[in-house]
Amino acid sequence: MNGTAPALRTRATRAVLSLGVMAVVYGLAAEAGRGRLPDRVWLGTHYVENVQLLPPYRSLAEEGTFLVESGILTGSIAVSAGRVLLGFVLGAAAGILVGLWTGRRARAEYLAGPWVTFLQFTPALALLPLYVLWFGYGEISKVLLIATNVAVVALLGAHQGVRSVPRVYLDAASALGAGERLTFRKIVLPAALPHIFASLRIALGLAWVTIVVAELIDAQMPSLGYLLTLAGAYPRVPTMVIGIGTIGALVLAFDLLAMGLHVRATRWMRRAA
Amino acid sequence: MLGSASLAALVLAYTAISNAHVFRPEVVPPAQEIAVAFTELVVGTRPPPVTEDQQHAAHHHHHSSDHVGTLLQQGVTLQASLAITAARVLFGLLVGAPLGILLGILMGWSRRADDYLHPMYVLLRSVPPLALITYVMLWLGHGEAHRLIPIVYAVAATMVIPAYHGARDVAFTYLVAARALGAPRWLLIRKVLVPAASPAILGGFRYAVAIAWMTAVGAEMLMSENGMGNLIVGGGLWASRSQTKADPAVVMVGILALAAAGWAMDALARSAAARLTRWAR
Amino acid sequence: MSSPAGAPIRLEAVDLGYTYAGATPTRALETLSLAVRDTEFLAVLGPVGCGKTTLLRILAGFLRPTTGSVRRDGAAVEGTSLQIGYVFQEDAVFPWMTVRDNVEFGLVARGADPAARRAVSDELIGLIGLSAFVSAYPKDLSAGMSKMVEVARVLATDPSILLLDEPFGALDAQTRARMQDELARLWERRRKTVVFVTHDAEEAIYLADRIVVLSSRPGRVRADFPVQLPRPRSQEARFSADFSALKRRVWEALG
Repeated sequence: MNGTAPALRTRATRAVLSLGVMAVVYGLAAEAGRGRLPDRVWLGTHYVENVQLLPPYRSLAEEGTFLVESGILTGSIAVSAGRVLLGFVLGAAAGILVGLWTGRRARAEYLAGPWVTFLQFTPALALLPLYVLWFGYGEISKVLLIATNVAVVALLGAHQGVRSVPRVYLDAASALGAGERLTFRKIVLPAALPHIFASLRIALGLAWVTIVVAELIDAQMPSLGYLLTLAGAYPRVPTMVIGIGTIGALVLAFDLLAMGLHVRATRWMRRAA
Repeated sequence: MLGSASLAALVLAYTAISNAHVFRPEVVPPAQEIAVAFTELVVGTRPPPVTEDQQHAAHHHHHSSDHVGTLLQQGVTLQASLAITAARVLFGLLVGAPLGILLGILMGWSRRADDYLHPMYVLLRSVPPLALITYVMLWLGHGEAHRLIPIVYAVAATMVIPAYHGARDVAFTYLVAARALGAPRWLLIRKVLVPAASPAILGGFRYAVAIAWMTAVGAEMLMSENGMGNLIVGGGLWASRSQTKADPAVVMVGILALAAAGWAMDALARSAAARLTRWAR
Repeated sequence: MSSPAGAPIRLEAVDLGYTYAGATPTRALETLSLAVRDTEFLAVLGPVGCGKTTLLRILAGFLRPTTGSVRRDGAAVEGTSLQIGYVFQEDAVFPWMTVRDNVEFGLVARGADPAARRAVSDELIGLIGLSAFVSAYPKDLSAGMSKMVEVARVLATDPSILLLDEPFGALDAQTRARMQDELARLWERRRKTVVFVTHDAEEAIYLADRIVVLSSRPGRVRADFPVQLPRPRSQEARFSADFSALKRRVWEALG
């Protein structure tokens, strides 16, 4: 099981294959639904006509070309990706630092506890008005909203990572004469790294998912989140599908990067496969 | 002990700051208003203003009493809303977690499954809940399902990662030892892989709890006549959410109540995890 | 050649008792008295669960005895000491460090400079025969090799007392025999005071100058006798009459 992992090319082909299958399945479903799905939907207060619940590739292609040629899509990607990255980096840094601290010192956990709990269970949508009130109606609020969600997850990851270092390593280090700092740097941190990376992967997905909410603040184009919201409001399903697909592709790209980093940073680990 | 002390200190500090007129009352609602809103929402009714002071207060806070007033008119209480949201969260956890864990273990165990499923997983989990809710609403109209589906979805998506890493990073020696004893594959997975991965999975459950609450309240804020999300938003259905007319005191009450409930659930998850993985010391 | 009777006492346990707290408190050790002399190779033998690991951890300073006292070089034991090297029963080699980094860890803790560290680690890694693996990670080593890395790591800071807790328990018979020889060779070269915990009677007789047999829980000293087999010992010694006689003695002591 351990040892020779299948070559990168095989894995890439499999990934492409599965994406291809997904694409085909969607295409088939869209074609199958063309005559049969209803095309007016009830929006709670009124009906809307000509809604394609499962837009076939033709509509998607049309819509996609329009969005790309007008620069809407590319502009939105750039702007939103920037916000996500900034929020992610800020949140991850803050979360990891605090998490390492609370994991190591019980006292720190008590001090930070209320704040973390406060932020942990509040959805971005609820924090949004508060953030707007506190930080104004601009970029800061959006980035901070994302950063908050990321920080909460990263904090948990770092905290658990520190707490779950096997006792025997700590004992061995102390028996060899390692002091507090050396133990933290060379034992606790490396042992906690896998947990931290796992939590960062979750946080990355969360960051992208939060962008839609964050970009409700001072909503204006270009902005991937606002694009989705607008598409949802009309509704204009082909745009929704393209928007969701774009976010999905971006998350996939970032996730692959994160996984690569994870594997690289933990190449000392014995793996099941 | 230290925890409650720091909590008490926090409350005192907030009361002092909020009353010191340093910030506008819309930004930092005074502690008393929060307390008042809290009691009103718990009791379910508003006592009629008796003294002159109270009448004056009723006039002064005219706009904010609308929020609580609307809620009270609809028969909304804090406890009931909390219970409803908690029920949704539990549903999402009970249904979503096993799905996510199974998928994660499958992907962590078999490199082949991982290669095929990984892109699909990432694409599916990167659908923003807002978009998902909207899309589901187009298909299914208004119903409980369109609130519950996003929660289940989010929980499942979240649990895949800890399960995946737990399964993959399992101590190799355990598997080799079990293999050497001639264990068939199923037994290997059930009796060795799953228990060995369970600390990671149970630890990851805490993420799922947090995300379940967030998604539940988010869904409720958009389209529900009950639950905590509805309470925070002030009742009523889909409207433009970028401008809210909510009373900040009520929002604070909502957030604090959510934090308390979420913390309780998280503490439960934590102690369950500790108890179930006592062997991992 | 066992340590002369007059050698100073390095470790001493007097009337040691230990109870594990918990839902049902367990008495692991009971009125245990033991003295370990300088450069002596002592094997502590006993059935599974008799408290041998607890005893070792108390001697090392990881645990405080519930009753009785433990002394090191005459002074009361207060936590771990740089004089003591401890080899764990479980896998304690740091998986995120290479073999060399593992071995050098104790020296890093001490603030030794890289050149000095490298000299020591080169020598020790050569001693355990793993020179080809200096930059390998523990995941690429077998369990036996991993354990020897731990031994080398512990020797790097040159402690005068070595405490080993069933270090070869997880190995197959051949590897274990080889590791025992390695350990014996190292000990002959460096003359440390060794306390070696095991449940394997043959291993105890093969390695030690003196054997202490513990009873099952709560652990008490049941027997204490010297092993007067000539050194250096080879695997052949296992088949001698003296060896068998000692085995019988141990068997009887274990009851």
